[in-house]
Amino acid sequence: MTVTDPHAPALRLEGVRKVYPMADGEVVALERADLTVDRGEIVALVGPSGSGKTTLCSIAGGILRASGGTIVVGGDDISGYSPKQLTAFRRRAVGFVFQTVNLVPFLTARENLLVVDEIGARTGAPARARADQLLEELGLADRAKNLPSQLSGGQRQRVAIGRALMNDPTLVLFDEPTSALDSKLGRQVMELIRSEMTARGIAAIVVTHDERITAFADRTVHISDGVLDA
Amino acid sequence: MFLALKEMRRAKVRFTLLMAAVGLLVFLILFQQSLQNGLITAFVGAVRNQSAPVLVYSVDGRRVIQGSVIGPELEAQVRDAVAGGRVGRIGQGTFTVTADDALSEATVLGYEEEGLGSPTTLVTGRLPQGPGEAVASAADEAAGFGVGDVVRIEPGGLEVRVVGLADDIQLNVAPTLFVAYETYLDAVRSRNPDAGTPPPNVLAVEPAPGISAGDTAALINAASDDLDALTRADAAAKTPGVAQVQQSFRVIFLLYGLVVPLVTGLFFLIVTFQKAPSLTLLRAIGAPAGRLVAALLVQVLLVVGGGLAIGIGLYAPLSVQRIGGITLRFETAAVIGWSIALLVLGTASSVVSARRVVAIDPAAALGGTGMDR
Amino acid sequence: MKIALRELRRRPGRFATATVILTLIALLLLFLGGLLDGLIRNSTGAVRAQQGGVVVSSAASQSSFLRSRIDPDLRARVAAAPGVEEVGGLGIVQLGARVPGNGPRDLADVALFGVEIAPRGVPNVPDTGEVWADRILEADGVRVGTELLLGPARSPVVVVGFVEDTNYLGQAGLWGSPATWRSVVAANRPAEIVADGVFQSLVVRGSGSPVDLAAAVDAATGGATLSLTIADTANAIPGVAEQRGTFNQIIGVTVAIAIVVIALFFALLTVERVALYGVLKAIGARSRTIFAGLVVQAIVVTVIASTVATVVVLLLDAAIPPGSIPVTITVPRIVSSVLSLLVAAVAGSAFSLRRVLRVDPASAIGSSS
Repeated sequence: MTVTDPHAPALRLEGVRKVYPMADGEVVALERADLTVDRGEIVALVGPSGSGKTTLCSIAGGILRASGGTIVVGGDDISGYSPKQLTAFRRRAVGFVFQTVNLVPFLTARENLLVVDEIGARTGAPARARADQLLEELGLADRAKNLPSQLSGGQRQRVAIGRALMNDPTLVLFDEPTSALDSKLGRQVMELIRSEMTARGIAAIVVTHDERITAFADRTVHISDGVLDA
Repeated sequence: MFLALKEMRRAKVRFTLLMAAVGLLVFLILFQQSLQNGLITAFVGAVRNQSAPVLVYSVDGRRVIQGSVIGPELEAQVRDAVAGGRVGRIGQGTFTVTADDALSEATVLGYEEEGLGSPTTLVTGRLPQGPGEAVASAADEAAGFGVGDVVRIEPGGLEVRVVGLADDIQLNVAPTLFVAYETYLDAVRSRNPDAGTPPPNVLAVEPAPGISAGDTAALINAASDDLDALTRADAAAKTPGVAQVQQSFRVIFLLYGLVVPLVTGLFFLIVTFQKAPSLTLLRAIGAPAGRLVAALLVQVLLVVGGGLAIGIGLYAPLSVQRIGGITLRFETAAVIGWSIALLVLGTASSVVSARRVVAIDPAAALGGTGMDR
Repeated sequence: MKIALRELRRRPGRFATATVILTLIALLLLFLGGLLDGLIRNSTGAVRAQQGGVVVSSAASQSSFLRSRIDPDLRARVAAAPGVEEVGGLGIVQLGARVPGNGPRDLADVALFGVEIAPRGVPNVPDTGEVWADRILEADGVRVGTELLLGPARSPVVVVGFVEDTNYLGQAGLWGSPATWRSVVAANRPAEIVADGVFQSLVVRGSGSPVDLAAAVDAATGGATLSLTIADTANAIPGVAEQRGTFNQIIGVTVAIAIVVIALFFALLTVERVALYGVLKAIGARSRTIFAGLVVQAIVVTVIASTVATVVVLLLDAAIPPGSIPVTITVPRIVSSVLSLLVAAVAGSAFSLRRVLRVDPASAIGSSS
């Protein structure tokens, strides 16, 4: 379908717009956004509620289709992708760490990582090996068989990060990864994100409204009323 | 009330599905109740709704009138045993008849005297007073068995005129004619001129004054091992197949009756589970647990009530139909009985959900996010 | 798929009540079906056991064995009909049978058949005074060699063997020669005596399809006979068609209830899992995969319910004393009931398809609810 260019930036947005039609006209959620994220770069996307940061993040991750503009992820131009192509793209190229509902409650830590394989390629043994390796690297080897309810908040976020890395993505999107954690744990999780992403050369966008998080990013981008100020 | 109705309006699909399920179950239960009663009435209505308090069969008859034969010796033993009471002969045969210009099958029941085997549920006309007259089962009025219709018994061609109609007097799911005993004998002879005078099939007995029907039956049974005397109710209930039908339907009713409260109970348990956060919030802002439980009960009653309405609505038009030879009837007692039973069972089934509502801790609204339960 | 199965294993409580309800419904289906099969089997065995293509009765009999009469003349015309190869006379009388050792009022219900062509399971027409008996009579203490006394005249017949599934209108079949039948009728039912050579019905064997054969016979007799195939004769037995129609309607509505219950349950389950489906879709799960998981769960729950219900109904079948409730549990009935429930499971879970399709992957991101 598309050949991923190993030298292309992780994410390139050019003139991306998102408008929602309403009964009385339209609402502009994102106005001509231009943003490039290099491989291995960590970008903090900061803005108040309703500023459009979620919309931008969703478009970059292929969850939402833009109303206009170009979106290229790792050399893949996904701007014209159909919903079906976008689903396959998300399975292949992006990792997500969500804010609240994140892990499947009735699956163990290891199985939560394997979900990615289960809904996609179903490679079996290689996927199991990768899950074990990721759990080991994230310091969760002894928690592999625990259900989410048996894990601490920080451990759950680490499992979520592990799941986001399962498909060896070009880009990982973090949606308020520390909002449910206290500040000490939040810092630890951000340190973990930073070290894991940097070590693997994977780009990350961390959506937050917490300015303290920006210290862990290579670059901070602010957004308000759908407009990026780079 | 406000909460209960608002929620139902928001989640129409779920509540409609539940009501539909309860409605279908109610419909099936009621329909089968009618079917059971209709079936039994069509099989033994003639036994139930005849006037003799005691019927005497031969043991060999296996409690089937047509299979029973009372020879002169047995008849004499019966007359001896009920000294002081009245005894009459009953003869029965199944004949091919022409009614309404079509061949069909009919049961002819001959009795000697009013009070000894005459039909008790006359709705129009009168009892037969002479040869060639009959009271017909009202259910078959439209099939050429109405008052004034002439039914021809084949192949002999004996004609019988219907002079009255009685409710629920069928035997073996066939149109049934109650006639004078002589008319019955004529019918047998018209079919088979060589038959001579057949002995009666069963004897109808009216006990001597001061003796109960049960005691009379016991006296007759004590007189001979070849006699099988039964009270009217027993004769109907112990006809082969009747007890089987009743037992089979009992199992079916039990199973359907269990499914209704289980379905409603499960539904409300899941719904309560799903709306736990909202319930917690309501508790936190000061809603008393009793109010929330009341809302739950209102929903349960509305769903079961709605289901009953749907079920009865489906059942009512069907309950006045005929299935084959079986006449169905709207069973008011069954409708009331099942409505009460299902409302009670439905309410009882929501106890688990109600306990869950009561157990909700309003403080949880301020605590964790409730994620990953 | 695996996720769906793991949920079943890890959260059995969530599916328990639905499984219990479906088990009850499966039990109802099996019981209703078994009752229908039992009633019909009990009524029609004697007819189905006939080794011929067509049963011929006199036209005015309304296809009732009891009222039909075929005299030698009519029989000759039937035998001469094109395609007819063999004709066997058949007569029946329903009586109470006294079994030695049982109480004086404890009679067994029997239907004595006099036949010229032995039915299925009977090697040849037995000698006069001897009968093959339906195995159901074993419950009354009848054994090979037992002398049964039939009817008020106590006509003796000796049981020389057992056959299966030959009952008529709930009465145990006894299979003897025409001479045995004639003598028992003469002794017990003088009003029903038939002359030598006269039978109640004929069983006809011949070439070609039974339907054509029946038509050929009726044409040859000029309408004096009513000929029906074996299956049609069984269906013409009073009550059989009505029972089948009524029970099948009840079974149909019960399956509809199963669909609604499954639909309801999985609709509720889906509502509960919307957030989870949002996450799965966001990380790339197809709607198809998620819906397949639902269907798999519905099927597994149905299979468990059907299995439990089958075991229960088999135990019930074994526990029910013979003669109380006429339930017959057969493999085809179990298979058809389970299949209809599986169809109901898929149809019921399909109600949730729309909701699964509507789950927006974007709901996973940016909202804290």
